[in-house]
Amino acid sequence: MKSASLWGRINCKGQHHFNSNLYLDYCGNVALSSRRLGKIPEVNLGVILYRNYSSKNKSLLKQKFPKMKKGSKVVAAAGGLHQTKIGNFFKRDANGSSEAGEMESSKKKLAVSSPKKEKATNSSEADEEMESPKEKLAVSSPKKEKTNGSSEAGVKESPKKKLAVSSPKKEKATSSSEAGEMESPKKKLAVSSPKKEKTNGSSEAREMESPKKKLTGSSAKKDKKEERELQSKQSDSKDKNGKAGSSKARSSTGKKRRSESTSSDDGDNQEKAASKKSSKSNGKPEAKRQRRRIVVEDSSSEEEVASEEDFKVKSEAEDEESEEDESGEELEEEEEEEEAEDEEAVEEEIKPKRKSKAIGKKVEVKSKNTKQATTKTIPEKTGNKAPAQGSKPAVPPPKGWKPDYNPAKNKYHPIDDASWEKDQRVPYLALAKTLEAIEATSSRLKNMEILANFFRSVLILSPDDLRLSVYLCLNKLAPAYEGVELGVAETNVMKAIAQATGRSLDKIKSDAAAAGDLGIVAESSRSTQKTLFQPQPLTVQAVFNKLKEVAGMTGSASHAKKISMITSLLVACKYSEARYLARSLLGKLRIGLAEQSLLQAIAQACFLTPPEQDRSEWPPKKLDCGKKCSAETLKAKFEEEAYKVKSAFCECPNYDILVKALLEVGTDGLREKCKLTPGIPPRPMLAQPTKGVADVLERFDGIKFTCEYKYDGERAQIHLLEDGSINIYSRNQENNTSKYPDIISRFSKCIKGDVKSCILDTEAVAWDIEKEQILPFQVLSTRKRKDADEAEIKVQVCIFAFDLIYLNGESLIKKPLIERRELLREHFQAVTGEFVFATSVDTDSMEEVQEFLEESVKGNCEGLMVKTLDAKASYELAKRSQKWLKLKKDYLDSGGDSLDLVVIGGFNGRGKRTGTYGGFLLACYDPDEEVYQTICKLGTGFSDEQLLKHTESLKPHIIPNPKSYYRFNTQLTPDHWFDAVEVWEVKCADLSLSPVHTAAEGMADPQRGISLRFPRFMRLRDDKKIEDATTASQVADMYKSQEVVKNSTNNKKGIDDDDDFY
Amino acid sequence: MFEARLAEGGILKKVLDSIKELLNEASFDCSEAGLQLQAMDNSHVSLVSLNLRAEGFENYRCDRNMSMGMNLASLAKIMKCSNSDDVVTIKAQDSADIVTFVFESKNGDRVSDFDMKLMNLDQEHLGIPETDYACVVKMPSNDFARIVRDLSQFGESIAIACTKQGVKFSSTGDIGTGNIKLAQNSSADSDDNIVIDLQEPVTLTFASRYLNSFAKAAGLSEKVTLSMSPDVPLVVEFKVATTDNEYGYIRYYLAPKIEDEDS
Repeated sequence: MKSASLWGRINCKGQHHFNSNLYLDYCGNVALSSRRLGKIPEVNLGVILYRNYSSKNKSLLKQKFPKMKKGSKVVAAAGGLHQTKIGNFFKRDANGSSEAGEMESSKKKLAVSSPKKEKATNSSEADEEMESPKEKLAVSSPKKEKTNGSSEAGVKESPKKKLAVSSPKKEKATSSSEAGEMESPKKKLAVSSPKKEKTNGSSEAREMESPKKKLTGSSAKKDKKEERELQSKQSDSKDKNGKAGSSKARSSTGKKRRSESTSSDDGDNQEKAASKKSSKSNGKPEAKRQRRRIVVEDSSSEEEVASEEDFKVKSEAEDEESEEDESGEELEEEEEEEEAEDEEAVEEEIKPKRKSKAIGKKVEVKSKNTKQATTKTIPEKTGNKAPAQGSKPAVPPPKGWKPDYNPAKNKYHPIDDASWEKDQRVPYLALAKTLEAIEATSSRLKNMEILANFFRSVLILSPDDLRLSVYLCLNKLAPAYEGVELGVAETNVMKAIAQATGRSLDKIKSDAAAAGDLGIVAESSRSTQKTLFQPQPLTVQAVFNKLKEVAGMTGSASHAKKISMITSLLVACKYSEARYLARSLLGKLRIGLAEQSLLQAIAQACFLTPPEQDRSEWPPKKLDCGKKCSAETLKAKFEEEAYKVKSAFCECPNYDILVKALLEVGTDGLREKCKLTPGIPPRPMLAQPTKGVADVLERFDGIKFTCEYKYDGERAQIHLLEDGSINIYSRNQENNTSKYPDIISRFSKCIKGDVKSCILDTEAVAWDIEKEQILPFQVLSTRKRKDADEAEIKVQVCIFAFDLIYLNGESLIKKPLIERRELLREHFQAVTGEFVFATSVDTDSMEEVQEFLEESVKGNCEGLMVKTLDAKASYELAKRSQKWLKLKKDYLDSGGDSLDLVVIGGFNGRGKRTGTYGGFLLACYDPDEEVYQTICKLGTGFSDEQLLKHTESLKPHIIPNPKSYYRFNTQLTPDHWFDAVEVWEVKCADLSLSPVHTAAEGMADPQRGISLRFPRFMRLRDDKKIEDATTASQVADMYKSQEVVKNSTNNKKGIDDDDDFY
Repeated sequence: MFEARLAEGGILKKVLDSIKELLNEASFDCSEAGLQLQAMDNSHVSLVSLNLRAEGFENYRCDRNMSMGMNLASLAKIMKCSNSDDVVTIKAQDSADIVTFVFESKNGDRVSDFDMKLMNLDQEHLGIPETDYACVVKMPSNDFARIVRDLSQFGESIAIACTKQGVKFSSTGDIGTGNIKLAQNSSADSDDNIVIDLQEPVTLTFASRYLNSFAKAAGLSEKVTLSMSPDVPLVVEFKVATTDNEYGYIRYYLAPKIEDEDS
């Protein structure tokens, strides 16, 4: 989502505001808005002036105020910052395209003018300027002066240095090229902290500073600031010739100076005290603090300020750094900074008095910051070596994010290539970029590598965020069995996007229909609504927590609240963040990343960068364990690790536990930590479909197998925990415990004494107690889904147990079925109508299987499950295994009903089916009333080409409103209505009663119609006219002729006529 | 210890009514100078800045600067329990997690007090740049409220165009277009005159739903001041004042909309 903020923000300290948190506006964001108008934004010390500020103007200004040059340097930091921010901003928001380029060039222009001028002014004013610092130096300590001299020595150009006592040794030390720059920071250091410098500053501080031009540049700025102040002290009208309000400015700067000098005096004293304490240890932080002291006027809140500054520092540093990287020319950048200062200095004059005072302060603070920042970032730049120096500040700054992140990089380095730093929260942008890279790549191997790279960075830099990152990659908030759902409807996300961007809901809707993906719409929706301040960048943690909060909201006004929370997230989104956030909200990430691939990626990451290694040693030793391996060994290793992770996850599908274990013990210890546990539902074993009895025999040729009834109910995993509590989970690990209070209360009857804990695999089936027979699935689905009250349950359920995978603390999944079945029958007892074992036959004759199949269908079952019994008969968690085969009646060649139905509506497709219809509304014909009654929604059985063909052929028949002779339920209103022209042959598994479809309404059931279960498209019947479609009465007959229905109606007629169960 | 006694408690009610639509929660910053509130709405499009000066209160004491995070919906529930002529006292201990509201009826025969839990809000304090506005319109607040209400029937955004002749509000939508022009009539002494201080003509477009929320503050004072400059947030300022006392101000900042590229 592209947005333009009006006011950018910079944290700065020391304002009168008691919160001591002040935000300056550097107007990075303004840059965009004014860019559009073809202006170059003008930035000021904390104030944005929306002026038409072309580079021409700028040079004019320069001519006018050549002397400002020096003074302007005071604000260099701010200026430099501003520049970099703008640069970043463009890259960020305009996606690095042409605008960034323009920006670059304009920067260059800015850069051109300054250096010469500076020198000139320097020489002319040098004497005056020098006076006071020298004085200070003299006052504070003579020793200092020596050290001073050393630093200043390098500077040839400025007379100041000559004044200073120079030490030849040092002069040699500092390289001549950098000398000019070196001078000023040194001097400042000297001014501020004489002692320290002597002790450690001379060695350490110099080390840090000298190689980095930027550093010196920024400190130079600071220096300049002082100079400027002096200047202004002795100011003559020339200095600020011709400018309106010059007097104001002068007086204000004068004030500032005074306050500064006093504070610096204070600073000196404090410094001494401080430096005594911490003289040797850490020169850098110490230096920082001292520098700060000079500037901050009221010393009361100093300490606070200090720590907070540290935070800030980081971000600025990053910004500058990245900027530098791009431009490459440090010199240039410095000049830019100066340039910016220039403007700012000029601007300052224009500004009202009281402002400038405060501003001056800010600026100083800022320039300090930049300096600190640079010192801090140096280590990172130079790589792994530096961080070991132990010069890290105590408070890790929360910002330090780089705007670019490329997890797809070859030879990815988990620390250097990450966009954040150790112990920081992971930026959501890094995750979004990872997902983006994955989405853009079709190779599964590459995808896993990309994801693994991201995980490597996360697990080594911010291990706490690994779990959250994994969840967000999977678009989950918690394990499935905890039942945490976002509960956000698509329209609500649209509304949030509309609010966040200021676009109208209709436009977003139409865009979404065109793009087929709200994520893309969210990302590309250019904001027509500016914001005041750009919100804080998102972190993985923040997003995860917000989503969880959204999920947790209930109650009447929760919709509005959810929308407003989503809006606040969307507003903070940049680049592709909005895309993935919107998709997360809708519950479909759609990046082509299956859970198995994710597990594999975790395994790869853990192999390359072991998570269990000691993080206190930094950088950790093992960052890329795959370096020396050949491609084959690497692949084999990956497979091996992936197996460990996957099997651990199969037994314990809970990322909280899995990730925690990985971080503690790595992949090798997973087996111990992640075991099958009652209370954590593993994914059940599934069966392969087969075409017929012959197919089954073919596959199980020579293997002992058993046939069980395939009951048409709901998979229920019954967990008995050690503490005696019982949980029931569905096939998809949803917690159905509250759905089956009846099962739980009866369960104790079914277990024999010595069972303390177990996991049973069963099927819960609706049961007619009086007739002692199985009821159709539709009856079961009428049960209350949650928090059922046992007293009110009308639909009774019988449990058909067929497997036991855990018993008394021991996992049985490796044991063959024959043993498991044995244990099952041994430890549990059947209670008729409540808990029984699945009917089974152990046979190998085709006839018997066939017979058994027919029996099962008559017994209201779906068909048969055929399972290996002894050899190769372990329980394969979460697998659709060849060891289990299902023989369903509708898969059989002869089975399944075929109907000829009329297409009357179409639903817009999404994702892959964008642009075509994703589903159709079909109807049967009722010749008595001459109406078409809806019977099912159809979305399967098509090839892509067929879908396209049908879409094309139906398009001409779109009608704005349904015909008067269509009978449909408004819940099933398609996106487009069609004139009834095409007849399709459709096959289905079953026919069932439906509250929404209208087919054969009143024929099988007084209120409900009939619909098709699992309809699949077979072919277009162009030989049939729409009047030849299957009629309602035929549908009703087909429904009634089903075994399940026959059984129940027959019996019912015998006993009573009450239609209770339908 | 923080204690502030407000003779005209109705003021507080009105103030709350004028911000609760934009903000769900906000922190009141108490300092010696008075009570302040600054917060942006969820989408960072508008900002409310409320300032109630210490002098406005009958009695004001603030030993230490403190920040009281409140849920404004809860606060509204409490304020509902007061009559508009009640004397309201707000009390809080230093670093306490509750704030107490005491309502005393005018004749003193009814006293009610309510405690409300405070929230921990990590709110950012945002420096608002001082700007010289290209045009400043002072107009009766009821007129403003009326115009905004009328025009928001037409479309989602309202354009405000200010020229030497006067100020024009306009909105376009599905049903058509609405324009309301107000002419400068500074010569007249009457209360409902419109004064325009213009450096250069400005036209800006704003989302009407925010303007509508701002208009809720019309009850606080007779006059509203709109300050605009190109590409700068609009400032809508209402003085918080009664005939006898001036309490402070409430300012709304609203980021303009960019010309809609879709249409």
